[in-house]
Amino acid sequence: MSTTIGENIHRKEAWDKVSGNAKYTDDKPVTGYLHARILTSPHPHARIKSIDCSKASQLKGVRAIITGNDFPVLSGALLEDRPPIAKDVVRYAGEPVAVVVAATEAIALKAVRMIEVEYEPLKAVFSTGEALKKDAPLLHPDLGEYKRIQKDVQPVEYSNIASKFQIRKGNIEEGFSESYAVIERNYKLPPSDHLAMEVRAVRAEISVDGKIKIETSSQAPYTVVKQLSSCFQIPAGNIEVNVPFVGGAFGGKAPVTLEFLAYMACVKVNGAPVRLTVSREEDMATAPCRLGLEAAIKIGAKSDGTITAATFTFYLDTGAYSDISPYMSKAIAVDCTGPYNIPNLSCDSYCIYTNHTYSTSYRGFGHLCYTFCVERAMEDLAEKCGMDPVDFRKTNAIRPGDLTPNQVVSTYSNTGNPELCLEKLKTLLHWDGRRVKRIDNNRVLATGIACLWKSATPPTNAVSGSIITFNSDGSLNLNTGVVEIGSGGQTNLAQMIADRLKMDIKDIHISLAVNTRLNPEHYKTVASMTNYMAGNAVMKAANDVLEQLKTMGAQIYSCAPEEIEVADSKVFKKEQPDQYIEFKDIVSGYQTQNGTSIGEPVIAKGSFLLKGLSKLEPNTGKGRTGPAWTVGAQAVEIEFNQSDYTYKIIKAATVMDVGKVINPNGMKEIIYGGMSMGLSMSSREVYEYNKEGRLNTPNLRTYKLLHIGEEPLYQVEFVETPQTDSPFGSRSISEHGIIGIPAALGNALAAASGIPIQELPLTPEHLWRAKEGIHDSK
Amino acid sequence: MIANDFVYCKPGNRREAVKAYRALSKEDKKVFYYNGGSEIITMARAGSNAPDAVIDLKGIKECNKLELEEDYLVIGGAVSLNTIEESGLFPLLGTTGSRIADHTNQCRITLGGNISGTIIYKETVLPLLLTDAKIILYGPRGFRRLQFKNAFDQRIKLRDGEFIYQVKIKKEMLSLPFTHVKKTAIEKIDYPLVTVCSISYGNYLRFAFSGLCSFPFRSVEIEKILNDSQLSAEERLEKTHGLLPEPPVTDYQGTGEYRLFVFDNIIKAILERRNNEVL
Repeated sequence: MSTTIGENIHRKEAWDKVSGNAKYTDDKPVTGYLHARILTSPHPHARIKSIDCSKASQLKGVRAIITGNDFPVLSGALLEDRPPIAKDVVRYAGEPVAVVVAATEAIALKAVRMIEVEYEPLKAVFSTGEALKKDAPLLHPDLGEYKRIQKDVQPVEYSNIASKFQIRKGNIEEGFSESYAVIERNYKLPPSDHLAMEVRAVRAEISVDGKIKIETSSQAPYTVVKQLSSCFQIPAGNIEVNVPFVGGAFGGKAPVTLEFLAYMACVKVNGAPVRLTVSREEDMATAPCRLGLEAAIKIGAKSDGTITAATFTFYLDTGAYSDISPYMSKAIAVDCTGPYNIPNLSCDSYCIYTNHTYSTSYRGFGHLCYTFCVERAMEDLAEKCGMDPVDFRKTNAIRPGDLTPNQVVSTYSNTGNPELCLEKLKTLLHWDGRRVKRIDNNRVLATGIACLWKSATPPTNAVSGSIITFNSDGSLNLNTGVVEIGSGGQTNLAQMIADRLKMDIKDIHISLAVNTRLNPEHYKTVASMTNYMAGNAVMKAANDVLEQLKTMGAQIYSCAPEEIEVADSKVFKKEQPDQYIEFKDIVSGYQTQNGTSIGEPVIAKGSFLLKGLSKLEPNTGKGRTGPAWTVGAQAVEIEFNQSDYTYKIIKAATVMDVGKVINPNGMKEIIYGGMSMGLSMSSREVYEYNKEGRLNTPNLRTYKLLHIGEEPLYQVEFVETPQTDSPFGSRSISEHGIIGIPAALGNALAAASGIPIQELPLTPEHLWRAKEGIHDSK
Repeated sequence: MIANDFVYCKPGNRREAVKAYRALSKEDKKVFYYNGGSEIITMARAGSNAPDAVIDLKGIKECNKLELEEDYLVIGGAVSLNTIEESGLFPLLGTTGSRIADHTNQCRITLGGNISGTIIYKETVLPLLLTDAKIILYGPRGFRRLQFKNAFDQRIKLRDGEFIYQVKIKKEMLSLPFTHVKKTAIEKIDYPLVTVCSISYGNYLRFAFSGLCSFPFRSVEIEKILNDSQLSAEERLEKTHGLLPEPPVTDYQGTGEYRLFVFDNIIKAILERRNNEVL
């Protein structure tokens, strides 16, 4: 039996999905359910003077109406600052104000529109700059009193600062005094959305003895249990959360959102089953989005291109509530340099409240935002030093022995090899140092380069687990708490087991739905950590299987367990491979010919707890936040028309140090997906707010994504520098394809147009404006 | 999800349609004639403009007509953009329709609906303005047969209870050389920043525009300037800017100034090509 590691294995859920058979949360029949819909605020900041539900509640079929006064609780991933339904004050347009439960969805929606709310508008802030002004209105006057779930999140009382993390390394003044070239730049990225194909949905019911069942589209079923338990003082064991297939999540389904509302609605109707759905418009305006970012960057380098010092200031626009954003400000601080060695470094990363839709994790966990800023600045600095952009990056690439921003000593195992990625990218692009090539009078071909790196920022005690059982035909069931969000994580885990047990991957079955009562806890399906965390748990479980089989084999063959071999779904003595016991005859215990029973049914387990991580030292930011980094180099090639500022994306390429290739096509696809998302986000996606602070385009008619037919040629190649503490040496890759793409596109467009690109999205009008702006100042 | 209940009614002929309109529109009820329904669904979902009753015109045979008669092409109001395009009978209108929304919606959106809807672009109006089309309206007082340009001024001038019955275009106008250019903010499938339709008729260029202003229009004055070969392209464009019926639209798709920039680029390219052809 040869290994399946490195093979192109079809995803375990592929047939369900391509045949349309895969069932998502809201695909279950609706009979037997009451229906809930949400009323949201039209104001970005206002006092709720009164809510009059009298007309709505008289509508036939309305069963309950819930407002913020019914359950005055606060929720939050890191800082409990968010009432699931606004109470007294609304802080963004789109915030839930009331929930109606009714016999049909139509009645619920009709009733929602009959609720009369009287608001007193308050002054609102729509940028981090405004929010930091001395006389800025405070979004959270009680900020200092909120419960902190994670103690390293430290909000600044009587301000709009939800948290701050900083990095201090080396000596900044000395570093800059050694610089030959220094550049200073400001960048600005607006918020945008995840836009998973499946909108969020949830169902809830409570049994007469108080057992709560939640079915939801979530990346974090175990967090739903914990937050419901903590918010409403329910014993966690009374809550069961079930997650079927999830139709895309991208970080947007990691926070607990609608689950609170569905639970409250369900309580109000005495536990009757409630189905809560949102429209696409609400999924965009009400549910959390991707954060906005403003940055001020200063980098200095010697004449040979060696970077000597940098200062970075990041202002994250988290919107009305903090959710996981304080940890994004931490992640940005920890990884602020990109995969480069910057000996003298200062970084301040602020997480700021504004009256925008609140934000949450989004593919790349903030990395794509800061990387746009840093890699744009790197490009300009390379030019100022008169260096080739690839060589400049190679010169500064982090190497073993260098210190990362959080002062971890870099090794090949914990960082990978950025230099090799750049070298391989050069070959892939046939790089000749020319960023721009003329096609005709108006059109040029331009290439932009950017590097990426990312480490995860999980809680230091995140867990994962795995249970293996067998079927009567000898095939294996793998049970983990990993949610199938489209990244193919479960298939990779099956490949790992197949290799370890030397069995055919066809005989490995996966439980695709996650039920918190049945599946062992996996922290959250986030941060691209499935291979590492669940992988380690699964490998332990596979070892447990081997041990159990070998123990039984030893009893059967009357030899030492070490003399037993397990392969091809058979157990045999190493020296007598032709005399074997098939799995089907041993996995439920063995029966000899004369009827004697030997051993026990095989039920194996493996569990994993993150270790060796620490919180950051508050002043210097020294500490270990994640197990390892993944590095890569990316490029985008465009055809730019200098006469009308339109452009076509021709090619997007990535070379990533994946540690070990587990499933080549599967991994390429996930990186293609990341690149596509990055191109879409940076070329066109934006949450545009009107003067009243409402989203201008909260629907797919007006909010545009990259469509089929606009996709460029995608190229992916791998570098394999093993991460020694990870199964097979594999690294996290699921998010990473997106990270350098906005910067690479920005660099390509800057080279093609001569425009100093400092903002997203890069629409032709934006480019035209920037160019005209230059004309004006002349 | 449309929350409100509404009456659905599908009459089999034009008289029944008007009768239904009269019967349903009592007591201030909002009654919409409709063919495809894409716009009504959008508005009703959002709760912004939900009807109390809809009268489906697709049951009227004549409204589904798409036929080349002796002198005219007849297109019923309920014929879909996709059907027009696939018939190949009126290439300019076919091309224009094939760039409105996506294919799924082109199979739904009809000529009558696009002309009379609330979305401001109404790009199918452009070919009709350029080709001296006629329009036949039907309402409580019977037929009205009008020059399209007299029935359409910023919007279709329907009387209470009237609907678009048919549109007629002279055969000779169907296959004139034309240009259709639609520019969007960035996506192919989107509302236009600017759409320009142009035909060459008797060695004279006619132009009609959508997206630039809050309504589609054709301007004889602008055509005069754009056909004036004594003027340079830049002079023509500058004069044209002064002749727009209203300042260009600024919205989330693009600012007015940018729309003008896009407009100039389109016109320059058309004039340049024209110039090359003449030479």
